[in-house]
Amino acid sequence: MMRKAGVFRFTRRARRPSSPPTRGKGRIGAWGLVWMALPSAPALAQEALVTAQLGNAVEIVDLASKKILQSIPVPGAPAGIALSPDRKTAYVTRPEGHGVSVIDLDARKVRASLDLPGGPLGIGVNPTSGEVYVADWYGTRVFVLRPTTDGLTLEGEIATGKSPSGIAVTPNGAALLVANRESDSVSIIDVASRRETRRVPVGQHPFGLTLSADGATAYTANVVSNDVSAIDIGAGRETGRVTTGQRPYVIAFAAGKGFVTDQYSNTVTVFDPATLKALAAIDVGDHPEGVAATRDGKTIVVANWGDNSLSLIDPSSLAVTGTVPTGDGPRAFGDFLR
Amino acid sequence: MLGGFDGRKETMKFRTLAAVAALATVTFAAQAHGPTRQKVSESIEINAPADKVWAIVGNFQDGSWIPVVEKTEGKGGNEVKATRTLTLKGGATVEEELAKYDAEKKTLMYRITKVDVKTLPVNDYSSTIEVEGDGAKTKMTWRGAFYRGYMNNDPPPELNDEASKKAVSGLYKASLENVKAKAEKGS
Repeated sequence: MMRKAGVFRFTRRARRPSSPPTRGKGRIGAWGLVWMALPSAPALAQEALVTAQLGNAVEIVDLASKKILQSIPVPGAPAGIALSPDRKTAYVTRPEGHGVSVIDLDARKVRASLDLPGGPLGIGVNPTSGEVYVADWYGTRVFVLRPTTDGLTLEGEIATGKSPSGIAVTPNGAALLVANRESDSVSIIDVASRRETRRVPVGQHPFGLTLSADGATAYTANVVSNDVSAIDIGAGRETGRVTTGQRPYVIAFAAGKGFVTDQYSNTVTVFDPATLKALAAIDVGDHPEGVAATRDGKTIVVANWGDNSLSLIDPSSLAVTGTVPTGDGPRAFGDFLR
Repeated sequence: MLGGFDGRKETMKFRTLAAVAALATVTFAAQAHGPTRQKVSESIEINAPADKVWAIVGNFQDGSWIPVVEKTEGKGGNEVKATRTLTLKGGATVEEELAKYDAEKKTLMYRITKVDVKTLPVNDYSSTIEVEGDGAKTKMTWRGAFYRGYMNNDPPPELNDEASKKAVSGLYKASLENVKAKAEKGS
């Protein structure tokens, strides 16, 4: 979840004016020129990589056409997903098949597989080193995996609280954060020494964990206390909470707002990250789980586990702009958009 | 199962499962569940109008349309957060709470707040009942979402995902058949 697309879009969106061609300079201006030069070409092929857990598949979904481009069989109830820093490789956890599958996203094929003990579920990638971190749902540890030309090798493990779940890495690659679901806490881990340096108490049963774009603040979705905790990473303490719907699961950011899937309410709670005030609740599908923002920051994508679909939300108007059918039981827990 | 909801299991299996459940409690005291939520959906076509079917299944305080239920006791009527305790034939109980209720749309959703996995091998169970009318015919659907009975890794076959789905599916099918028979009788 580190480098969760939503977080990055959050700031980029904030800096970007609504009509790119009016920008005179900088990278965004250059993008605007490209768009103007190629008016008929799609801006960017934006893909969702959906773990259909009950369907035992990872689906590559084209968000523009709302079509499944490819369904890649992955046994073992695939659930968690993270992308390599170059966004060309997906790492998918298999909590029942006990391992991680490595998918080549351009070839749309499983390239390698690594067996792991325990219940691999949450997963994240270090944006600077490419190291892969996998949380053991049944344990008190995060596995450290090293990408190789052949796939992944297990390098070691880091002790955490109980039932480590959501994972994020700060943009500078120095700190790993882990939500400890059964310990009601977040572990802040020094990547270099592979040791927990702080443990921050949060709400009850934190599951999803997402960072602000600058890597200074972490947010956890607390499934039992029905709220989101904001954590000042540098200070190592919780700074506030937002009340959500029932069973909040994962958080994403776009258009200066936070978006939280509420599993039991079938809604997405929208909040202001600055004031930690809830702004709205958007009706989505049954049992919404994974959520992220597209790279252009213009769409929030929600995986609805219960009715096998993605809901697309405009983060500015907060309207649901589309629905995409998926395979059975989409989880998309992690960084699933590219 | 186990003299519980599906009522088909024999005593020996009951003992095995009880032992497994006890072991699970010892080895994993925390209330985590498995990593893979399951879903079951069963539906049936009933040759009776939707109002008649809803009259049978639409009262949260009356679970008598579920064949294994002997008694329903509860409070709060059909308001959200209403509770009920189902006493099953054989004495096991299931505690449930109403989460959504819409008489207009003829749908309700509730959760199990307390059940022994020996009675029904599930955790974090929620279910939705939908009654859709089409003139003299009605389609009734019962959907459930839950985690398997065994909360730790590498579940024994009696409490794995398949066993949990089978138990819930069996319960749904028997109940839907029962509703169909009730609604069609004398209509």
